[in-house]
Amino acid sequence: MKKAFFMAMACCALIGWSGSVWGADTIKIGVIGPMQFVQGKGHWNGATMAADEINAKGGVAVGGKKMKIELVKADSNEFINVTDATNAMELLCTRDKVDFIVGGFRTEAVLAMQDIAMDSKKIFIGCGAAHPELCTRVAENYDRYKYFFRGTPFNSNFLVKTCFIQMAYVGGVLKQQLGLEKIKVAIVAEKAVWVDPMIAAAEGFIPKMGMEVAGVWRPSPVATDVTAELSAIQSSGAQMVLALFSSSVGIPFARQAGELKIPAAIVGINVEAQKSGFWQATQQMGNYVTTINTYCEGVEYNDLTKPFMDEYIKRYNEPPTYTADTYTAIIYALVPAIEKVGSLDPDKLVAFMETDEHLVPSGKAAYMKDDKGRHLHDLVWGPGYLTALGVQWVDGKQVGIWPYKWKASETAPEITYKGIVPYTIAPWVIEAHKKK
Amino acid sequence: MVRYWLRKLLVIFQKEILVLPSRMAVLVFFLLLLGLPLVSDDPYLLRILILTSIFAIFAASWDLLSGFTGQVNFGHALFFGVGAYASAILHKSAHLPPGASIPIGAIAAVLAGLIIGIPCLRLKGTYLALTTLAFPIILMGVVFAFPSITGGELGISGLQRLARSNQANYYIHVIAMLVLCTSMWKITDSKMGIIFHAIREDELAVKAAGINTTRYKLTAFCLSGLFAGIAGGLYAHYMRIAGPSCLEVGLSFQVVIWCIFGGVVTIWGPVGAVFFLFPLLELFRFWPEYRMLMFALVILIFLLYMPEGIFPWIRDKLENDCPRCKVRNHAARKTCRVCAAPMH
Amino acid sequence: MFADILITGLVNGSTYALLAVGFSLIFGVARIVNIAHTAFYMVASYCIYTATYKFGLHPVVGMLIGVVVVTVFGVVTYRIFIAPVREHEAVVLIATIALAMALQEGMLLMFTGDYLSVPHLIPGFTILLGVKVFYQHVLTFAAVVVILGGLHVFLSHTRLGLAIRATAQDREVANLMGMNEGRIATITVGLSLALAAFTGAVIAPLSIVEPFMWLHPLIMMMAAVVLGGLGSMKGSFYAAYILGFAEAIIVFTVPMGAFLKGSVALSVMILVLLVRPEGLFGIAFEEER
Repeated sequence: MKKAFFMAMACCALIGWSGSVWGADTIKIGVIGPMQFVQGKGHWNGATMAADEINAKGGVAVGGKKMKIELVKADSNEFINVTDATNAMELLCTRDKVDFIVGGFRTEAVLAMQDIAMDSKKIFIGCGAAHPELCTRVAENYDRYKYFFRGTPFNSNFLVKTCFIQMAYVGGVLKQQLGLEKIKVAIVAEKAVWVDPMIAAAEGFIPKMGMEVAGVWRPSPVATDVTAELSAIQSSGAQMVLALFSSSVGIPFARQAGELKIPAAIVGINVEAQKSGFWQATQQMGNYVTTINTYCEGVEYNDLTKPFMDEYIKRYNEPPTYTADTYTAIIYALVPAIEKVGSLDPDKLVAFMETDEHLVPSGKAAYMKDDKGRHLHDLVWGPGYLTALGVQWVDGKQVGIWPYKWKASETAPEITYKGIVPYTIAPWVIEAHKKK
Repeated sequence: MVRYWLRKLLVIFQKEILVLPSRMAVLVFFLLLLGLPLVSDDPYLLRILILTSIFAIFAASWDLLSGFTGQVNFGHALFFGVGAYASAILHKSAHLPPGASIPIGAIAAVLAGLIIGIPCLRLKGTYLALTTLAFPIILMGVVFAFPSITGGELGISGLQRLARSNQANYYIHVIAMLVLCTSMWKITDSKMGIIFHAIREDELAVKAAGINTTRYKLTAFCLSGLFAGIAGGLYAHYMRIAGPSCLEVGLSFQVVIWCIFGGVVTIWGPVGAVFFLFPLLELFRFWPEYRMLMFALVILIFLLYMPEGIFPWIRDKLENDCPRCKVRNHAARKTCRVCAAPMH
Repeated sequence: MFADILITGLVNGSTYALLAVGFSLIFGVARIVNIAHTAFYMVASYCIYTATYKFGLHPVVGMLIGVVVVTVFGVVTYRIFIAPVREHEAVVLIATIALAMALQEGMLLMFTGDYLSVPHLIPGFTILLGVKVFYQHVLTFAAVVVILGGLHVFLSHTRLGLAIRATAQDREVANLMGMNEGRIATITVGLSLALAAFTGAVIAPLSIVEPFMWLHPLIMMMAAVVLGGLGSMKGSFYAAYILGFAEAIIVFTVPMGAFLKGSVALSVMILVLLVRPEGLFGIAFEEER
């Protein structure tokens, strides 16, 4: 048994070694993610699209010569097994000897994977985890963690901000169209650590907006039956629900709220509602559910958005989710940096990237510093930079509903992206609340 | 003086180790593991072997409890998780170095062993198995209920490793594994081990013989908890993060699979099984979608032919018991090496 | 709120009861702890999904197909992998675990990890005691009553049922009396899996279909079986409802702690076992069987 094992490992070593010899003239980019799930597929699809596009143009100009991009797929299996994820990252760094890494999704796994990439001093662009800790590590231990950049999404503090702005917007629409005096908001958040600070923030923010908190409910992230919570929400008289879900509970919540015709407008963060499979998963009952999303068919942030979305839809038959921003990470962040700097040296690239602002299909990417002036390698949020969208499911399609005539502050310009439409209130909500 | 000891070592080697293939295999295993970094410094290979060693300690601790005393424990991940979280919390809050937080974390796991051992004293067989399944799940609920201490679903990150370099880590973990597994084996080879065997075979008879089985059963729980807790602490510090994945049901099931696959009621069976199955799972990375499926099929097929476990099956092919003096001999011998009786 | 607890407790309890009775059946007769029981329930859910979504068939047809497919597939797997090693209990245990893993991976391969769903058999909802209840919930409860009632009648009034009960009581003597114990075991496996498949059909519309959906019901089902006493179907039935109500009480009285319902239900089980180690209706001194 043991002999067979060592023979097998020797074969692996041989294959790995020969691979690296063959790939001497290519830039190897490792794509790591949960490849059996939507998020990992997004990682891989975005990266493949980017690599094909660059290679079709002849490759990347590094110093004097042109080098093609070679992608290495690594299934991190991070939802099931964090050990697996770290082993996969180790394989990428030391066996496959990739030059750069993009991907990652589950924060617990990305925190561990980040350590391994930093051990090998490889530039790692995180495309999926929003936890601020990933970037505060950069500020606190710059020399070790400087090779990490956040590719997408902007961190969860900004997510909260965007979420509240959207909630205020929808609240305003409800007030105006239904003639309501004061909106009652029910906060429903899955029991998870990432949500806890948001609830406290929401409880403070909602009264400031002139609305009232009707109650706070915390279902399990993997609950399949939330009728208990829904009936309680209905009894509380709430007209709006701030839903904060990243796990599967987002589906039964939307479905049962639609089936039971709960008279409240649902806004917030619902990661399952961002996916195109949401409509079938809720048996077409998740109508009028609103959530933050990065991409939406028909909405354009700037000139780069439409070509990216059209190409992605043409290749993969579905709109991209935010993990497909591995495309952005490669085409708009890595490759231009390599071409400007003229080499693959990680230290030089880091120095260039951290001060570089560039346009991306979802806005403009720039990296921020913390209030002590230290580099965070975290994405800047705001009008003119990255704001994300509010999307609503209307009769089987996602439509963009925010920013719609949004002013970030008194002096800021009003923003409405191309393709944004007004919010639609669910008919049963109108029926339940409209006065006369 | 030195020559005397060297000659004694040589005699032991010739008379005790060389005669039996299984002992030779163990010796070769020790030497290979200790000598590996001299031929290869591939970080990936070292990493796999470090993780395998940690899980080998974990698997051996399960065998100590469930194999030897027969108290089948379906929630072994509890000890692992308690050890991991305790050493992580001690490291981060009390700023203890890993060398101190791991043993003290293991003591927390011993306490956990006591806490679950006491209700389980009256339970038998499948009841015990399914009850122990419940404990890590309850603890996971507690972990999520106090996210400020435990970090909720993110776990506790930013832990430090035991050593800086890969080689040093490798030696620490492998030597820890060899020492701990040998101690576990020595425990089973002692008077306490005989009582454990007896409790598994017929607890009523042991009680009738006047032995306090409660004390021994609790000791088994605590010892098992100690070793599994050390494994948990080592894991948390090596991975630099202690998360709820240390308490998962999947981990409890994994360890049961490893142990039964490798052969229960030995200590070397589970250790060998982990060294076979864990790298095998990594090898299967070549077929990422089929990995776990192939793993499950491998287990199912092996179990059909070797229900006692793979290593006892191999050992039985290579060695036989002498019918008169019951000493083991290798299969090619015609007469026993001790009493010269014919071997059929 | 009392009405809420009542309705939710009944529905949850019915779910666990269907699963627990099937599990008890196999354990009582063939002494197999079938960890893959809920995995087969998952396969049935996927069958229904495929039938309704890919082939556009009516959900009831999908249900029947699911039951047939799972029963046949399960019995075949049992004969190949489990029957040869039936005498080694520990091996059977991990064989069923490995089988469950294989099924999970198979579903993952065929359907990927995306969350899917199955339509309700009877869409819409009604208002009972001031609580909005889905027709599917009512159907679940009705199904439990019908199926378990039918099972009870089958076991007590048919010859095959008699044989099954006899084998459950004492295997060796049943064999001596001329009942082919191996064949009875196979038939019981088929029956139990058909129950699991039927459960999948009834409950799948109420939950999310994904390759890991079998883990949570497994825990609760085993808790119900242990609480009720292994091998006792009556015990499993009552224990399932006790656990269902425990969960419902937690969800309604402690809204912030709804995620704790699994932990609380399991704690209830442990507390009962502390007092009565063989479960509510179990038999002590099982070695004497």
